[in-house]
Amino acid sequence: MKYVEFVNSLISRQVGEVDNLVLFGQNIMAGSCLGGLCKGLNVRPPGKVINTQNSENTLIGVGFGLMQNQVSSILFMKQQDFLLLGVDHLVNTYNIIRANEPSASFTIMPIVVDSGYEGPQSALNNFSDFCSIANIGGYCFTNKRDTETIVRRHLVAPGFRILGVSQRLMKLDVLDLAVVDSDENGNFFKYTEGDDVTIVCFNYSLPYALEIERDLRTHGKSASLFSVNTFSEFNFGSLIGDVSRTRSLLILDDSKSGNQLSDRLLSRIHEQCCRIDKQIVIRKTLNNDWFYPSLDHLNLNVHDIVQQILEQ
Amino acid sequence: MTKSTVKIAERVLRLRISQLLVNERLKKGEFKIPIHLAFGHEAIAVAIDQIMKTEDGLFLSHRNIHYNLARTRSLKEVLDEFYLRESGIAKGHLGSMNLCNPSKNVVYTSNILANNHAVSSGYALGNRIRGNNGVVFTVTGDGAIEEGCFYESMLFQKSNNLSVVTVVENNRWSLATEIGERRCEINLKKLTSGLSIDYFHLKGNDVFNYIERLSRIRTRCLKTKSPVCVEVHLNTLGYSYKKEVGNPKARYINYHAGAAAQIESLGYPLISQSSQDPIFVLQKSVSQGRLKELAKNIASEIEAEIS
Repeated sequence: MKYVEFVNSLISRQVGEVDNLVLFGQNIMAGSCLGGLCKGLNVRPPGKVINTQNSENTLIGVGFGLMQNQVSSILFMKQQDFLLLGVDHLVNTYNIIRANEPSASFTIMPIVVDSGYEGPQSALNNFSDFCSIANIGGYCFTNKRDTETIVRRHLVAPGFRILGVSQRLMKLDVLDLAVVDSDENGNFFKYTEGDDVTIVCFNYSLPYALEIERDLRTHGKSASLFSVNTFSEFNFGSLIGDVSRTRSLLILDDSKSGNQLSDRLLSRIHEQCCRIDKQIVIRKTLNNDWFYPSLDHLNLNVHDIVQQILEQ
Repeated sequence: MTKSTVKIAERVLRLRISQLLVNERLKKGEFKIPIHLAFGHEAIAVAIDQIMKTEDGLFLSHRNIHYNLARTRSLKEVLDEFYLRESGIAKGHLGSMNLCNPSKNVVYTSNILANNHAVSSGYALGNRIRGNNGVVFTVTGDGAIEEGCFYESMLFQKSNNLSVVTVVENNRWSLATEIGERRCEINLKKLTSGLSIDYFHLKGNDVFNYIERLSRIRTRCLKTKSPVCVEVHLNTLGYSYKKEVGNPKARYINYHAGAAAQIESLGYPLISQSSQDPIFVLQKSVSQGRLKELAKNIASEIEAEIS
């Protein structure tokens, strides 16, 4: 099953269980239904599924207005950068609405265009930037287990959040991983337990980390592998505890933002942790042409990284 | 003169006197927050308050004191909010430009121009989903209709058959610029016609006429399940003259916010001897002597409330 099919199946199941739900967005029930993300979605009457006009600013305000009227909704969006047109509502409207601790749910589910080549005007697909402007809760997901937890927990729940679907992963087979540990909100998931290195990946970088973890095993080394699915600071206790045990840290972050949660983790580790013998941080390098059409992948060499870890 | 006529006149007078009292405190510099008074807007505020039903919702903009006073019917609660006290309408959390009062159906207020149109559209959609037979009133100004969100929201309301009455208070001013200084004229009748949205025009500040017409508009909006646009021509009373570099004559600027320095009542809460002033227009239905008597009693009541 493809990643997008799996996400779609979870959404479909969950929205069918909720009363008075509104699903809305541009072309969500037409054409490809946003690459299959919204295919066949139905809600219980009198809820509605609306193919809307192209007015992102107003559509985000509509979600908050529904929330004020105690009606839950999900706004699907073809590209995360379209949120720029609604920043007023993401910040100003949300700051009024959240003060009332709303009982209804409003979720925006954009496709994070992280495959590159979309052009300068779509260069801003940095999840953490949108979350940071008003301390908005945001969650990414990369595989069956984290998607199940996050969709179940957050898709329809009191309050507002953004759940981002990776365009890069959409047509790939969905990963089915065992989970060793996680927190109830889906802030992080731990997929392997190891003694030699702690790998923490952010944004949508888990597939790179899995490759590195597998390669390490062929060298007789074991890694603790964490993926962080949120963009706001949470209790880093499990991660810091693991790093202080392995004393070796690899961070992978494939976002283009200058505002990365991995920085805060590093700072907390150095504030709280005992000595670290090895620290490797792999991020995107942003040159002056970062906004031109180009491959959006994280440029890394698994062999070299594994060798660096083995050198300790 | 019927009892209901007197009651409506009292409400207009109460709104005016309350604002005059706020203005006196503004002149003394008593508030930390910006406050936008609405002298001259009393007729439309009282009319909307009068025709609103329990299931209706009101969405306001930064100049909202007239609606909040009309809905709350208490100057003390509004004043306490302006002083950012716990006893204020919103516990001192909202101040003036975002002041709303859901318990009195003032659902949401935004100081970002046209922001409230989008939120009210969502609220109206929520009414449909919940089977709530209410009308949403969205109050805006001639400045906000320049924003894209105004058009987007009208389009959304029409496309989704929503019962929304958009009330455009057109005072021809936005901050320190008159319409002609910042843009071409907008023909709202033609603009709304392009979206097949009914347009109505109110002018003259006759509260009784406004109540009658808005009541019919509300019924029509609900029955047709279609948005309507009501443009109200009015004057925000108050002004100042500002000296500008390169201009030997000080420039006239209509009142925008803060203390209205020139505003003083003419014996009773009349400000202008013209139809720009809803109190002056009241004299068509209630004698000046009776209005003076009513004003005196109301002023005593309000003074007692806030003392």
